[in-house]
Amino acid sequence: MRTTAIIYMKELRSFFLSPFAFVVMALFTFINGWLFISTVNAMRVTTIPYSLVYNVFSSGWFWMGFLFIFPVITMRLFAEEKKTGTFEGLMTAPVRTGEVLIGKYGAAVTVYLAMLAPLLLFFPVFKMVTGQEDAFHSGAQWGSALILILVGIFNIAIGTLASAVTANQLIAAMLTFVGVMLHYFFGFFVGFATLPDSKWAAGMDYVSTVQHVQLLTQGLIDSRPFVYYLTFSALILSVTWHVIESRKWRI
Amino acid sequence: MIEVSQLTKRYVGHTAVDRISFTVDKGEIVGFLGPNGAGKSTTIRMLTCFLTPSSGRASVDGFDVEKDSVKVRQRIGYMPENVPLYTDMRVKEYLRFRAALKGMETKKLTSGVDEAVETCSLKEVQNKMISTLSKGYRQRVGLADALVTKPDLLILDEPTNGLDPGQIRQFRELIKDLGKRHTIFLSTHILPEVEMTCNRVIIINRGKIKASDTPRNLIRRREEGDLTVEVNGNQGKVLAALKKLPGVTSVKEEKSEKGWNRYLIDSNGKADLGEKIFDLAVERSWKIREMSRHDATLEDAFVDLVRKEEES
Ligand SMILES: Nc1ncnc2c1ncn2[C@@H]1O[C@H](COP(=O)(O)OP(=O)(O)OP(=O)(O)O)[C@@H](O)[C@H]1O
Ligand SMILES: [Mg+2]
Repeated sequence: MRTTAIIYMKELRSFFLSPFAFVVMALFTFINGWLFISTVNAMRVTTIPYSLVYNVFSSGWFWMGFLFIFPVITMRLFAEEKKTGTFEGLMTAPVRTGEVLIGKYGAAVTVYLAMLAPLLLFFPVFKMVTGQEDAFHSGAQWGSALILILVGIFNIAIGTLASAVTANQLIAAMLTFVGVMLHYFFGFFVGFATLPDSKWAAGMDYVSTVQHVQLLTQGLIDSRPFVYYLTFSALILSVTWHVIESRKWRI
Repeated sequence: MIEVSQLTKRYVGHTAVDRISFTVDKGEIVGFLGPNGAGKSTTIRMLTCFLTPSSGRASVDGFDVEKDSVKVRQRIGYMPENVPLYTDMRVKEYLRFRAALKGMETKKLTSGVDEAVETCSLKEVQNKMISTLSKGYRQRVGLADALVTKPDLLILDEPTNGLDPGQIRQFRELIKDLGKRHTIFLSTHILPEVEMTCNRVIIINRGKIKASDTPRNLIRRREEGDLTVEVNGNQGKVLAALKKLPGVTSVKEEKSEKGWNRYLIDSNGKADLGEKIFDLAVERSWKIREMSRHDATLEDAFVDLVRKEEES
């Protein structure tokens, strides 16, 4: 536990001491701020179905920025240490692989939450400033926060795995981006490809992020996405554990 | 402290470490010597649990590197080859992080780090960014990292690699001094280092152990002990007499000026030739102007051992 905490703190520290992290954070918040304002403006001049929350989070602009932040957050985790050789010092200290993995993963999730926080704050601030208590459901607000956290946990697990398989940060970043995109679009396309009454439809909805986002941003909270993202995150992390251990038997 | 038996590591296509066995006792300073690619780092990585042996066993303080890897690592202070460090940290901050990671109690961290800083003369740079340090200082930070938790065993992979001669000397003194409190296992291909600092040398080449002995004995084990004498006397007679001396394997003559001749004498090193030659000169009333001995170095012993391998 102590070891995990020590690694967690060190990872956070080195992330927040790099100027690059702040640039990405600022950029992400800026894009979302702009998106938020244009959505509000659009809704003022024309009648658009669904709420502000739903419209913001189903925008392609949001997803473009969103899927980009995962490679940035996770590419360093293991790849950098492997490249510089500090990985050897780290793993020859009396630490368990699980402790290192959870410390690093936890730090990445924390960084992600810090990046997400400004965006999630836009909505309560909007209500406060405009006084429009009925603009959207508070369930939609909570639902969207939840789904974004869940998707984030899952995507960071993908990024952590990618960073553990290579010593090259660029490759780690690309693998993460491809992985995160594939997962997203997979859910997107199965929505179109499967007939509503086919026996696959229910299963496909189960893995479709788009579907989850649609439901949760409307405030319809369901336990299935929890099970889905948490199970798969754990699964990917256990694969990562094996990847880190495998260096010992490298032939 | 270290027990290794039949330890093997195979990579695709070749065997980096081939069934080696050796032990290191508590309190020893052992040099692990071998040319590039001999398998030193691979062996060390198995001892520090970074790699798993393909076969064979290794244990540290009675704990098996595979079964009790955390306990093994608690007992080792390791300085990897090329001393990788987190360059975005300050020296003290780095040592504090490493000490905590290795399980040092929080309240002991400050004094523990200060002590390591003191031992490795890092006081002037303790608040500097590691990225701004010179190679010599980085090496010392690596050493301070290895010894900060006062482990029983220090394993140093080429600790003086890339240092200038002055720094190398300082480092050697430091290592000798550390040898009073820790068991030390260090790898190197710099021979004087081993000769000066180690009680024992293990020579490895192509994954196999070639010799394990004190530096003195290794040198003695060499067959030649070369001697040069410059004698004024009848050339043919001197040559013949020298050749007859017990232990002499060959005598070569080098022309010199005005009746003085130089002779290069190879011997098997067992007899004390110098004395015999001197007695002979007195007996035959030759004059001796110079007599010098080329002390064999560990380098000769090492090159011999490695060369033999190459020839066979
Ligand atoms: N990951 C690896 N995959 C394949 N071969 C390797 C690997 N690591 C090392 N080797 C090979 O194993 C052999 C032993 O390497 P090792 O690094 O142990 O040598 P060394 O004695 O430390 O040499 P040096 O003095 O250059 O540091 C070398 O031939 C090397 O090429
Ligand atoms: Mg090496």
